[in-house]
Amino acid sequence: MAANDGSDHVLLPEAGDVRGVPHHVACVMDGNGRWAAQRSLPRVEGHRAAETAVIDVIEAAHTAGVGWLSLYAFSTENWRRPAAEVDDLLRLVRRALRKHALSLHTRGIRCRFLGVTDPRIPPALARDIADLTTLTRDNRRMTLTVAFDHGGRRDIVEAARSLIRDGVPPEQVTEESFARRLPHPDMPEVDLVIRTSGEQRISNFMLWQVAYAEWVFPRVLWPDFRAGHFWECLETYRRRDRRFGGVQAPALTGKECR
Amino acid sequence: MSDAAPAGTDADPLGPGSMLHRLTHQTRWGLVATRAIVLEAAHPQIGAALITNSTFVAHPWRRLRNTVLSAQRMVDPDSEVRRREAARLNRLHARITGTDAENRPFNAADPEVRAWVVATLFESTVTMYRLSGESLDGPALDRLYAEFQAFLALMDPYGGKLPPTLREFWRYYTSVVEERLENTEAVHVILDRLFAQVPAPPLLRDRPAVWAAGRAIAGPTASAIIVASLPESLRARLGLAEVPGTRTLMHAACLSTSLATRLLPESWTRLDTVMTMLDPGYTPQRGGEALAGLRRGMAKAGALLRLITPGQETAAAGDSAVRSASRFFSEVLDQTGDGHLRWPDLAAMAREIATRLDLDTQDEDRLFAAFADWWRELQKELDTDGDGRITGGEYAAAAAAMAGPALIRIAEVLFDVTDTDDDQVIDARECRALFRTAFDQDPGGGDVGERLTRGEFVRRFLDFMAGRRHSGVYDQMFAQS
Repeated sequence: MAANDGSDHVLLPEAGDVRGVPHHVACVMDGNGRWAAQRSLPRVEGHRAAETAVIDVIEAAHTAGVGWLSLYAFSTENWRRPAAEVDDLLRLVRRALRKHALSLHTRGIRCRFLGVTDPRIPPALARDIADLTTLTRDNRRMTLTVAFDHGGRRDIVEAARSLIRDGVPPEQVTEESFARRLPHPDMPEVDLVIRTSGEQRISNFMLWQVAYAEWVFPRVLWPDFRAGHFWECLETYRRRDRRFGGVQAPALTGKECR
Repeated sequence: MSDAAPAGTDADPLGPGSMLHRLTHQTRWGLVATRAIVLEAAHPQIGAALITNSTFVAHPWRRLRNTVLSAQRMVDPDSEVRRREAARLNRLHARITGTDAENRPFNAADPEVRAWVVATLFESTVTMYRLSGESLDGPALDRLYAEFQAFLALMDPYGGKLPPTLREFWRYYTSVVEERLENTEAVHVILDRLFAQVPAPPLLRDRPAVWAAGRAIAGPTASAIIVASLPESLRARLGLAEVPGTRTLMHAACLSTSLATRLLPESWTRLDTVMTMLDPGYTPQRGGEALAGLRRGMAKAGALLRLITPGQETAAAGDSAVRSASRFFSEVLDQTGDGHLRWPDLAAMAREIATRLDLDTQDEDRLFAAFADWWRELQKELDTDGDGRITGGEYAAAAAAMAGPALIRIAEVLFDVTDTDDDQVIDARECRALFRTAFDQDPGGGDVGERLTRGEFVRRFLDFMAGRRHSGVYDQMFAQS
C-alpha cells in the first residue's frame, strides 16, 4: 500500500478507486536499450534485466490492490528492430513466461495477452501464451494484460471493420458499442499510465483505453524500476485532480514521481 | 442381468433404451471396439483394406474419435440421423477397394465383410461382459443379438445378414474363425506397431517423454490382454503366445471397467468424458454442457503440465511458422504413415473432411473428385520413377508444384461444401463444423470464429497445403489427431 501520509482527503470519486488506488494501471516499459548502453552491454541484457522489474511491479500492484495491470511488452512496430534482437526478446519472453506461470497462477492473477496475431511469433511461444491464458482464466484477484505485438490503432481499425462487416447502421455506433468491439471489452479504461525513462510519448499504446488516463513519466529506466517507484507513481496519481474534461481545477502541484 | 435388459423398447432396437445405445456411450466400448478390430484384421479382405487404406496406425486417435462418433450416430434417437450415418458409412466403404499382396480383390462394402464386422463387435461385447463377471442371460443375449442384427440391417438393408438365431450365430462365428481368418499383416501391425507406437493423444502431444514412458508399460499390456482374449485356435494360427498371467490381467481389466461403470459417477465412465480428456478436438454429440466444466479443468491441467515441464528452449524445426518439406510430408500428406504418398493418403483427407461436414452424396462426390484430380496432377508432376507412389524425396524435390490448379479446385469445392447457407461467406458456425472446435476452446490458429470470404478461405487453405505454413485448425484436422 502507499504510505499513509494523511492526505487521504484528495481521493477521487472513481468506481473501484475508493482508496485512491487506481483501478487500472498500465506501464510502458521503456529504457531497456539505454540501460544496457550505459553499461556497455548488448541490448539483450537490458531486456534480460527488465524481467526483475516486471515481477517486482506485478507483485507491488498485486499488494496495492490494483485490479488491472497492463504491461506494454512489444509493439507492432518493434518487429522492425534487428532480427537478432527480436529473436532474443521473444526467447526471453518465453523463458520468463514459463518460469513465472505457476507463481502468477497461485497468486490468483489472471493473465491475458493483447495483440499476439503476427505469424512471426514462434508457435512454441504462442502455445505457451495460450496455455498461460487457459491456466489462469478463472482467476479474479488481479488481471494482468500483456500487450504483445500490440498496436492501439490496429485495434481500433479492427473494431471499425467488425462493425462494417456486421452492417451496423451508423446511428447505432456509439462510444459504448464501439468499445465492445475492441479486444477484451471487459477491460476497464486505464486510470494511470507509467512510462519509464522520461520519454513522454503514447507510442500507439491502448489508444482507446487511455483516453482519460493520468500519465506519469518517472526518469528511471525500466530495468531499475522497482516496487518503490511504483508506489511513488500511485502516490502521484492519488494527488492528481482527475477532471475527465470537466470543471477547471487549480493547476497540478506536488511531488511528481521521479 | 443387472443393467442388461430393461423391457418395453422392442419397437426401437437401436434407440436410447437399447443395450447398444448405452454401451456405445460407455468407456468399455473402447475395449470392445479394440478387440473387435483385431478379429476384423485377421479377415483377409478387411486386413488388406486396413493395410492399404487405413490411417489407423498413423492417426489412431482420429480413427477412434470417428468410430465413436459413428457408432453413436448409428444409435441416435433420431432415425434420420441413423439413416444418414449408415448411408455415409456405405459410401465410405464403397470407396475402399483394391487387391491385396496376393492379388486377391478386397472390397470394404462386401456383404460378407460387413456381417463379419458386426459379428466381431457382438462377440466382443459378449466376451467383455463375460470376462467382467456380468454374463448375460438368455433373454439379454437374444436381445443384444437382435440389436446387432438391426445395426447391420440399417447399414446394409439389402446385403449380408447375420444368422437368424443365436445358436446358428455361434456356428457361423466358429466357422469363420476356423476357416476364413488368416495370419494377416494387419493383425501384427495392430498388435505390435499400434500399441507400441501409438502417438500421444492431443493433450499430451507436447510431452513426448511422458507419453512414451507410459506407453512403454501400457502398450505391451494392452496388446497382451487382447491376445489373451482371442479364441485359442486363432491365437495359435497367428503365432501369438499367451503371456503367463495375462488372463488374470485381462479379467482384472474387464472387471475394473465393469466395476467403474457401475460404481463411479455416470459422467466419469462415459466415453465422451474420456474422449474429451484425450482429444480437445472431440465434440460430444449430446450432454456437452455437463462436460464443459470438466474440459475446462482438463484444459487447465494440460496447460499447467506443459508450462511447468521443461520445454525445448532451442528453436526446433517446429518453432518455425514454415515447416520443412519433409515434415509436412510426414505430418500432413502421408496420412497412412507408410512413408509414401498414394491415393489412400489423399482419400483419407477427403474422408476426414466429409465426415466432419456430414456431407451428402453429391457434395462428397465433388470433394473426392477434386482430391482425385489433385492426385493425378501430383502423380504427373512428382512421381518421377513412375511407381505409382510419391516418396518424401520426390516430394521435397518438387514441392513448388503443390499449388497447381487442382489444389485450388479442392479449396473451392471445400469452400462450397462448407458454406452450407450459400451466402458466399464462411461464418463462425460453418467454420466450427469444419474444424470441430468445441465450446470456448481457442484453437490458437485464430481461424475459427472469423468470417471468411471465398478468396480468404482459398488463400488460407493454399497457405497451409502449398506454403506449408502452420495453421492451428488445419494442423488439428490433418496432422495432430
